[in-house]
Amino acid sequence: MLGRRGAAIPAVHEPADHVLRATGVGKKIDEAVLLLPADVQLRRAQCVVLRGPNGSGKTTLLRILAGTMSASEGEATLDGSPVDERQDATRTAVAALIGAPATYRDLTLVDHLVLIDSTWGHVGEPADDRADEILELLEIDHLAERFPHELSSGQQQLFHLSMVLVRPSSILLLDEPEQRLDPDKRELLTRILLDRKADGSGLLIACHDPAMTDALADTVVDLQSA
Amino acid sequence: MTGADQQRLRQVRAAILGNRPDTSVSTTLYPVYVAVIAAASYGVPAAQQLFRSLDGKWLAAHAWTPVGAIVAVSVTALLLALVPLVGRVHGPVVPPLPYLGLVVASPMPRTVTLARNWRLSFGGSVIGGMLVGAVGGAGLAIAKVSSPVVLLPATVCGALLGVLIAELWLHGQVHASPLGLPSGSSLPGGRRNALALLDIAGLQRQSASNATIGGAVLAGDLRTVRLDAARPSTHARHVRLRASGPLVVIARRDLLGLHRAPWSALYGLGFAAAGSAGLMLSLQSPRTPTVAPLFSLIVAYLGFGALCEGLRLHADNSGTSRLLGLPYRDTALAHLAVPLSAWALSAIVVNAGLSLAGLVRPTDSIWVLGIGVLLAGSHLMASFRGLPPVGVFGPRAGVPSMIFWYGKPFLATLVVGTATTAWAARIATTWVAFSWLLLLTSGVVAWGLVLVDKRDRRS
Repeated sequence: MLGRRGAAIPAVHEPADHVLRATGVGKKIDEAVLLLPADVQLRRAQCVVLRGPNGSGKTTLLRILAGTMSASEGEATLDGSPVDERQDATRTAVAALIGAPATYRDLTLVDHLVLIDSTWGHVGEPADDRADEILELLEIDHLAERFPHELSSGQQQLFHLSMVLVRPSSILLLDEPEQRLDPDKRELLTRILLDRKADGSGLLIACHDPAMTDALADTVVDLQSA
Repeated sequence: MTGADQQRLRQVRAAILGNRPDTSVSTTLYPVYVAVIAAASYGVPAAQQLFRSLDGKWLAAHAWTPVGAIVAVSVTALLLALVPLVGRVHGPVVPPLPYLGLVVASPMPRTVTLARNWRLSFGGSVIGGMLVGAVGGAGLAIAKVSSPVVLLPATVCGALLGVLIAELWLHGQVHASPLGLPSGSSLPGGRRNALALLDIAGLQRQSASNATIGGAVLAGDLRTVRLDAARPSTHARHVRLRASGPLVVIARRDLLGLHRAPWSALYGLGFAAAGSAGLMLSLQSPRTPTVAPLFSLIVAYLGFGALCEGLRLHADNSGTSRLLGLPYRDTALAHLAVPLSAWALSAIVVNAGLSLAGLVRPTDSIWVLGIGVLLAGSHLMASFRGLPPVGVFGPRAGVPSMIFWYGKPFLATLVVGTATTAWAARIATTWVAFSWLLLLTSGVVAWGLVLVDKRDRRS
């Protein structure tokens, strides 16, 4: 696995064999329809790309499949059980980047990665090194000692991606990961995600970039405007 | 300031007002009227009650001694030292953004365009100082701690203090300028000089912050107020968080956070030490005024709170994508490790010092450790209380219900801590009071955990 145009990428843990499924999942709040019923199935080493116009419910579907929002109709399951972010099994399997994740304004970028990695049980020097390597992988290692408020919007996006990539997971849910990235960084991100897929991770991505979609998608799900 | 400048400013004000009548005088006088009524209706009765509860004879004997004077001067100096810091975040001269962009940015001298805002703040500060002095003096006189003659010097002193506060407030705002002071200029160099030194970027930053904070206060969003008012961390960036066990790394995170906010850590430890000392001294005599443990708890609550930034940041982050491998409640509890340890350490050190001086018993530290758990519970409540329910903003609810809603954690600490500490000082079997302290504290902690779980479910 190669990163930084040829540098070694840190080894990720072996993703487990999970099946994430949405069957007729829709979402309404009172009379407002956020998501028309949709079906999605994601398996190991597979990438499903969600497409659709703004307001078609891509983010809503990702939230439901991340277990942070309940569906009004249909069923969202992980290995046959309802997806619920409060369950350890869901949190262990699914890593999601839907909106900006939690950051601590008094921690630098590298501190965030060490903190996340440690709370997943990775301790000692390898965990410190992993944090550095993830930053290098995304080519933001020169920003390691910056605080989140000192980043540009594109750098923020790369930092948020590094926080999701550093934690162990079998399924990655990403909401428009290409946003605010320049073409070069989109290409880098595509390669990283392809590597993740090759390692066995399942990827469910809402994406507006045709090149990324072509490179990554095994299945494309087009959502209808709600 | 030339006559031509004044004339231009009058034209600008006329253009801003358009056809509407100029109500600036009435809108300025109305808050003064309300403040005077509130001071007379609530301030004076509260002040005289406070002085009565302090034990008038004890106060009369101690207030007019050199020690009393030193305490009064020290407290005043401490408060005055804080004023420039307030000015750095929110100064006395903060016009609205459109006025800044259209008028203050024009070639007209800032001493002219900003004079009105300064006069309003200066006048408010002086009148506020006078009222505080008058209320304090009236309270002392009614409680018979001193003769009614004290009213006049107290009011004059209050007004002078108001002048000093206003000048220091402006001083803080000028020093917060992103451009810094021009070479060769120094402060204080006169008020006109100070107004001329206020730069547009700094004024706009404070004005925007003012609008954000004002909106957040109206919406009951204290998180936005706190994050907007606090300067982001940039200190000790080269110190790294080292990997460790899932719970230990949270505590290490909080220690690193305090290392990067040294003033907050110092303030927290100082107030924790002062609060725990006050609580231990309050236990020594049944004649100790109830207000002594009350003030000690206020100081302790503030000190403990300064050490709880990690806990508040965890609560702030609810609702976002979760990336930590720990359950939400466990993370919240892990964030209490550092403030509780710091509290325990300060209590033990203070107890050792006071015990050696023969002022307290070594076992009194156990009481203060119990209070530490109470503070932890109340800060859990405060950090995870979230936004107030809509009913709190209803037309029937009013300001008191909103203050009560926000103040619940603080009030829980004061009621439980003051009642049990004052009781413990008055009975021979302290362990009975301690049992009640633990029982009520477990209630406060349970309340805090309920709020944590509720926030967990909502996020």
